[in-house]
Amino acid sequence: MSKRSPLRRVIIYTGALLLALFWFAPFVLVVIGSVLPEVNLLSFPPTWFADPPNLQTYDYIFTGKIPQSYEQRGALRSMVSNEVRDVPRAILNSLVVATAVMFINVIFGSLAAYAYARLRFPGRVAAFNFTLMSRLIPAVAIAIPYYLIVQAFGLINTYSALIAIYSVLTLPFTTLVLTLYFRGLPDEVDEAARVEGASSWRILKDITIPLALPSIIGAGLFSFMLSYSEFLFALFITTTRERRTLPVIFGSLSTNTDVSWNMLMASITVGVIPTILLAIPVWRFMVRGLTSGAVRG
Amino acid sequence: MAAPVLLLVALFTLYPVGRALYQSTRIESPIFPSRFVGLENYRDVLGGLYFREAAGTTLWFALASVPLLIVLGILVALLLNESFVGNGVLRVGMLLPWALPATVAALIWKWIFLDTWGALNAGLYATGIIDNYIGWLTTPGLARMAVVVVFIWTQLPLIAIFILAALQAIPSELYDAAAVDGAGVFGRFRNITLPSIRPMLVIVTLYAVLMAFTNFDIVYALTQGGPGTATTLVTYFTWVESFKKLNFGAGSALAVLIALGSLAVILVLLRAIPKGALVEERP
Repeated sequence: MSKRSPLRRVIIYTGALLLALFWFAPFVLVVIGSVLPEVNLLSFPPTWFADPPNLQTYDYIFTGKIPQSYEQRGALRSMVSNEVRDVPRAILNSLVVATAVMFINVIFGSLAAYAYARLRFPGRVAAFNFTLMSRLIPAVAIAIPYYLIVQAFGLINTYSALIAIYSVLTLPFTTLVLTLYFRGLPDEVDEAARVEGASSWRILKDITIPLALPSIIGAGLFSFMLSYSEFLFALFITTTRERRTLPVIFGSLSTNTDVSWNMLMASITVGVIPTILLAIPVWRFMVRGLTSGAVRG
Repeated sequence: MAAPVLLLVALFTLYPVGRALYQSTRIESPIFPSRFVGLENYRDVLGGLYFREAAGTTLWFALASVPLLIVLGILVALLLNESFVGNGVLRVGMLLPWALPATVAALIWKWIFLDTWGALNAGLYATGIIDNYIGWLTTPGLARMAVVVVFIWTQLPLIAIFILAALQAIPSELYDAAAVDGAGVFGRFRNITLPSIRPMLVIVTLYAVLMAFTNFDIVYALTQGGPGTATTLVTYFTWVESFKKLNFGAGSALAVLIALGSLAVILVLLRAIPKGALVEERP
């Protein structure tokens, strides 16, 4: 790095600060909102910090113990949004669906990618392009047919329907990423094994997969995250609180005009935690994959 | 070995698209008996005032958010390409807005923008900047801006990282040579950086346009298309038509129109991509 002028450093740090504010301040506000009594949040003029913060909202989400302020007579409201108590269950639903989708992606995505990258078969390019192009159809355009298909199979409100749909939505991307990766692996090892009489299957299992494992896991986690966050299909396929996924619960809370706001903030904080834990490995995989080697200039 | 994926994708692509086309020519609803009506659904949809409004709003949304995303994406990528304390934290931390379910992202911002007791109003009032609360989500123009802000909050991280990847692929010799020739900061940016990242810019523009045209979650959770129809994008309009009014025929006609619209945009943008930028040629 060449030496930098003071002006340049000021610009860089100002930009970094603004960016950090833009991206992180909303989370801080949510956490603050979650520990303040709702009376203070709803007051005008604002008196957020008039009463000490507490963790009663979290207590309610996990144990059902109603916070004191909601029990007092004359408090601003007597109703608690009990939907926030569905959040832990919704996290579980999302995790179940997303994990299944991830395994399907890892297994079938690697198989397809290996075939596209290494085997010669008629229609290879056409099939590859078709798989990719299928993702360019907007989700809302196929929502009704998907709904009718799921209904015809009697799979409304089941994990299986969500898993099938998300697999279709994520497999093209997984296949693309892994095909590009497999192409980049050296051919010589494969050739040597083939000369020794190893089958394609054997080469895939004992050579290609161990070599490509980090990428396969990365692509799998990516499909996990997309499934964990998907909203439109989950919205009309899940119908009961036992099956609703996390995005659907929050979609429902967002249309509740009488929602308890500090409860909502607490439930968002709880709902964000799994994403933080899962997203870091995915992002590291992406940043590393993108910014080193994968794009050859 | 590719067969399972191909079969699954084909089954869940060709049949639904065919089904959508078929339905778009019929009166289809759980309430009424189904019958063929030809292109009537299309005529009703295209002639309807609400559709034209939604189409206009969608166009406005794309034109407002996509250029902003690309310009900000370049700036953020240039910033992250510098070394400074906290660069790593910023790179990893900014994943969160992108990785969150969009309904959660929209709810977080709803808490900020809410006109009755939102954090923004409370903060501005407490610091004496405003005397009356501003209806961020109840004023049509401001509500649209709010949707753009949340959209940028969730999409900028990925776009910035993609542009950053392209920046890092530029050989540093190019800059050294330009420095010897006495090129200034802007000269280097215009003559080296910009041409080098152009293929990536086309790809992220394509991505941003697709995301803008299919944005649904944010509108659903932040504004429900309101106030009035101010933030009703075509996707939200289609959802209301299909799953609230249960008018599957008109919904399918809308879906076909959206698919065609996206396809047209994709084709136009694909023509702008230099050969070999997306798929490497293999002997």
